[in-house]
Amino acid sequence: MEKNLLEPTPLPPSVRTNRLAIGSPVYNEILEFLIDEAEMLDQLRLNEWRETLDKDLEYNLPLRLTRPTRELAQSVVRTVQHMHDDYGSISLRVMRVMDTKSAWGEDPPSRTRRLVTNLRVYKTEKENEYKVQSYLLVTRSRFDFDDFDLIPCERHDVIRKVGDTYKLSRREIIVDQAVIGTPNLGIFF
Amino acid sequence: MPNASPLKLSDGTRLSDLINLETREVKMRTLSDPELYELEMRRIFARTWILLGHESEIPNKGDFVTRDMGSDSVLVARDRDNEIHVSLNVCPHRGMKISTLDVGNTNVHVCIYHGWAFKPNGDFIGAPVEKECMHGKMLPKEELGLKKARVSLYGGLIFATWNVDGPSLEEFFGDAKYYFDTLFLRTAAGMEVLGPPQRFRIRANWKTACEQSAADGFHTLTLHRWLGEVGPYAKKPDAEGKGADLTPEMYGSEVWTDHGHALRCIDLDRKIRRITGKDPAELTPAEKLTLLPPPGIIKEMVPELLERFDEGQLKLMSWRPPQVGGFFPNGLFEFIYLPQPDGTVVGAMALHAYVPKGPDKLEFVNWIFAEKDTPPELKARMLRQSCQLLGTSGMVEQDDSDTWPHQTVVANGAVSRDITLKYQAMFEEGAPAGWPGPGHVGDGFTKDDTQWAWWKYWYELMTAEN
Repeated sequence: MEKNLLEPTPLPPSVRTNRLAIGSPVYNEILEFLIDEAEMLDQLRLNEWRETLDKDLEYNLPLRLTRPTRELAQSVVRTVQHMHDDYGSISLRVMRVMDTKSAWGEDPPSRTRRLVTNLRVYKTEKENEYKVQSYLLVTRSRFDFDDFDLIPCERHDVIRKVGDTYKLSRREIIVDQAVIGTPNLGIFF
Repeated sequence: MPNASPLKLSDGTRLSDLINLETREVKMRTLSDPELYELEMRRIFARTWILLGHESEIPNKGDFVTRDMGSDSVLVARDRDNEIHVSLNVCPHRGMKISTLDVGNTNVHVCIYHGWAFKPNGDFIGAPVEKECMHGKMLPKEELGLKKARVSLYGGLIFATWNVDGPSLEEFFGDAKYYFDTLFLRTAAGMEVLGPPQRFRIRANWKTACEQSAADGFHTLTLHRWLGEVGPYAKKPDAEGKGADLTPEMYGSEVWTDHGHALRCIDLDRKIRRITGKDPAELTPAEKLTLLPPPGIIKEMVPELLERFDEGQLKLMSWRPPQVGGFFPNGLFEFIYLPQPDGTVVGAMALHAYVPKGPDKLEFVNWIFAEKDTPPELKARMLRQSCQLLGTSGMVEQDDSDTWPHQTVVANGAVSRDITLKYQAMFEEGAPAGWPGPGHVGDGFTKDDTQWAWWKYWYELMTAEN
């Protein structure tokens, strides 16, 4: 099939027989990576977070459509997306927040809480790369508003072992809402 | 009071108490009042032409999408004859929503409640168990179809109105059409959406977004200041203003019309000088268009522009093209030239609709476009740039969507609601010498006239009889 230039590179599959047992060493290391990442993002340590991204990063947040059960696969849209980023554009997003005094969409910043659960880790065809799926619930509080914006999603990552550490190389964030219920996505997932 | 409007709210306030036509002020109560909101849905959204999407979203027979005309859901469907119809998404039997989907394909829209069935054009086909005649015998089938809106296509954009006998879309565009043509009618093949629209909700009154869309250039300087700090405009030559100073970008011409449509025609001379090192005054429109083609156009496509447009429009497109502006009541267009780190420019083409969802909520709908003839690699770059800068996560527009809720919240204050929005910065220069287009034109640094024209038409519709 001809590659659709509008869409990101397809993710490697999650192959059941390649799944790592919960509690196995690599599983634990990746869980630690994701929990540390959530902490960095919640604490707005964005420059530190950027260090955990690999230079070939593809970072996407597809649209969702309300479609019938038999068309479920088509409920995820990867042409126009809510986020369609690479390392350079994510860096610009980080610089906007950290290096300017005018990123008003996130200044003063949201108070966020990232709850990471349901982690599954799969070996891929590449020795040092893992396909990683996790559920994420982001709660977002803005200004003096008494309501929280909730952004529940599932993340499909490719996480790469580089030396002693891990780096994020791919992330696709599948949100549950067809109409996003927060006024912007000025935060990371 | 000779100019007092007949429209009176339940506490006795007249609309003419909320908007001062002499001093160009609008009380903030207009941004929060539920009674006014109800009137807006009937007097504006049920009366004017509303942007619903683009025909490339429903390319095949039977394709449909569901959209909103103000507070009403509608089906936008293509029939077997390739004609596009817009019908109220409400079953005339018991009021169930006919389609709860965002998008689909069918030649028969069947209500899931009792099975009444309709054609893509809204005509009633029948109800189940025909021999029992469950649609009754009191009304003929012709009267049991979905309520149909009047539809008009322009450059593939789908507009509809409930005002079946009102002005045509062309009449509604008025003087703005001359300018819109240079954006939406550039190629024979036409534009296409690059995917379904982004959609997200903002806790803000729809007018906070829409009065801004009526070509508020001034806010860019402060609200989007980051653009000059680390963003695409950060690395300009000093001669054009240092560091974060976006002031030079604020000059050009602005156009407004009696129907509230507005356009910011931003000067390209600096960009052309920077990219080519040449003096724009010594270049013809054809040369300028080739050196810096409009968003979505490459130099190989320029001959088609030269063929399709007259001298005046070509002058406009190569000198001060409309880059941002609004369709009254709730549409915005962006045809912007984004500087790249390597010194080149990549365009972005986007349309927004700000759909009212109650006095203090709106839905932001963002379509991203290219020309059908735009090469695939450029389409892909335009798409990424648009997603990164505009819409849901857009580094530019996330600052807008964080501003409108605050305006809406404060508009509820017992004292704040009498504070006025002021549109008193007026152009002192009319159209610049040699301006080719019609409409009201102001020249120089961006001013408030375009937005004031938006409010004047809002007032005119809100106070119109019937």
